[in-house]
Amino acid sequence: MGSQSDLKKVLKIVAILLVPILIALLPTSWMPLENLTTTEHRVIALFVMAALFWILEPIPIYATSILIIVLELVVLSDKGIVWLKGEGDDFGILMSYKEIMATMASPIILLFLGGFFLAMAATKYRLDQNLARVLLSPFGNKPQWVMMGLMLITAIFSMFMSNTATTAMMLSLLVPVLASFESGSKIRTAFALSIPMAANIGGIGTPIGTPPNALALKYLNGSDYISFGQWMSFGVPFVLVALIISWVLILFFYPMKNIEINLSIKGKFLKTPKALIVYATFILTVLLWLTDFIHGMNSYVVAMIPVAVFLSFNIITKEDIKKISWDVLWLVSGGIALGLALDKTGLAAHIINAIPFGELSAYLVIALASFVAALMANFMSNTATANLLLPLIAALGTSMPALQDLGGSKVIILGVALSASLGLALPISTPPNALAHATGEIETKDMAKLGVIMCFIGLGLVFLLLTILKLVNFV
Amino acid sequence: MEKIVIVIIEDQREVLEAIARDLATFEDTFMIEECDSADEAGELMETLDSEGDYVALIISDHIMPGKSGVDFLIEMNEDPRFESTKKILLTGLATHQDTINAINNAAIDRYIEKPWNQTNLINYVKELITDYILKKGIDYTPYVHHLNQTTLLNKLRNNP
Repeated sequence: MGSQSDLKKVLKIVAILLVPILIALLPTSWMPLENLTTTEHRVIALFVMAALFWILEPIPIYATSILIIVLELVVLSDKGIVWLKGEGDDFGILMSYKEIMATMASPIILLFLGGFFLAMAATKYRLDQNLARVLLSPFGNKPQWVMMGLMLITAIFSMFMSNTATTAMMLSLLVPVLASFESGSKIRTAFALSIPMAANIGGIGTPIGTPPNALALKYLNGSDYISFGQWMSFGVPFVLVALIISWVLILFFYPMKNIEINLSIKGKFLKTPKALIVYATFILTVLLWLTDFIHGMNSYVVAMIPVAVFLSFNIITKEDIKKISWDVLWLVSGGIALGLALDKTGLAAHIINAIPFGELSAYLVIALASFVAALMANFMSNTATANLLLPLIAALGTSMPALQDLGGSKVIILGVALSASLGLALPISTPPNALAHATGEIETKDMAKLGVIMCFIGLGLVFLLLTILKLVNFV
Repeated sequence: MEKIVIVIIEDQREVLEAIARDLATFEDTFMIEECDSADEAGELMETLDSEGDYVALIISDHIMPGKSGVDFLIEMNEDPRFESTKKILLTGLATHQDTINAINNAAIDRYIEKPWNQTNLINYVKELITDYILKKGIDYTPYVHHLNQTTLLNKLRNNP
């Protein structure tokens, strides 16, 4: 089996690589865009490669990101291969190598790093588990209320921790309890479905909840800037409404009567000095994020504070640093680098200008973009979806006049970013779904039924939210 | 791609086959190697290591002609190349001293008495392989249905 599957893998990579290579080798004049420069042509090939690699995953998605960055440095930067450089209007613009490398330490990467430090410290000092215990106690032992409690806690945690870590924690509390119910009973399916749903939805709540949100911030500059608090002011209500709807749906599909469920979580709040520092820093960071209008530090600057505090007090150690999910950070970096190439070479504007969007209804464009994002997110990584769509959407937002009346870039970028979190239908849609499916409590059809319905309801909620934001003149 | 291997060592042919049969559920995902002596297993370990395969688990009998199971496991425990390899001693005939030796010097992960229970054996194998895969940093996603969920979830909550 070994060598044969190896061969298949190599063939798959070669077959996938052929397409972008072919595009790169075609004469520039053959491309269906007028006055295309050589560098723009290279970015087209790079973009096609990125899309194929992120969708078909012949190599890990974070590896694709790094490949994008390296290819940009080699063939599209001012310090790239000398024989590939040219001059004049036909050749186009080369990017600064520093700018490409800087995508790996972009403010939104550091915002996420700050989020990782908060989550790691909270997990290490068991703040997550102890909070879950306290928050769950008022929900009693009737299954529908316990489920509501679990979903709320999962959603709140996934606003600050990775959706995957939150799901793993909640499932590890839940799985032993579910084992006491008859195998195949509805209650087991229902509970196992509720956790990933809440984790996926919960990620929408804050800019650091899930990478697509942070990527959206990347494209919301200048007058479009959204602060942490502003994001939460619409993100959290969105999460709550979506959560309640999905809770009602789960109870409708899997009614539970006359049973009790007892979820006991062990442990006590740690009261060591280090634990107290973790609690205080967590609260302080969130407060600073919410009060930028008072102190003037933006969310990116605030995110660095917990990093310094936890390292200074040895709360996050050298060994802990090694466990940071660099793959997630680099996956996002690649997306930023791809967006940078589309923007700097002028290709994004070039493509958008070539398509007669002017004749389309702005409503239709927003609806279509959000739908495509949600559809892609069901079959591939949410972050990769955002990586591919957001740079194009951002260019579209600034260049389509009809969109300006509805709020311009802001509205369509938010629409796409939020919809990228609606990958709910399949075990492969998100890591939380995969983990829940792996417990063996759920069949794919259970997840698909609930997920597809919630995906469409979610899209409806996104449009409703955008409308409300427009009405209150936020966008 | 590198394979994940389970090595079974047992001198009695029929017992060896019975263990392999009980673990047949893992056959499609992991490679199961059967050896009828510790010396054969030693050679096999060298070959597997030189091919870059991962020996995740050794399940060994104790009393065998030639080198004993516990002695072989002690050797494996002291070999830095197999530092992470998990070890199960599956025996009906170990003395008190052998057992102490197996725990203290071979650092065995599980001790199973013959006759064994298939469900228990499968559960132990799942737990230990999950541990091994996570410790080695191997991408667990292709194996997820053969892993112990509790072990996996506990690990992921601390280190997603």
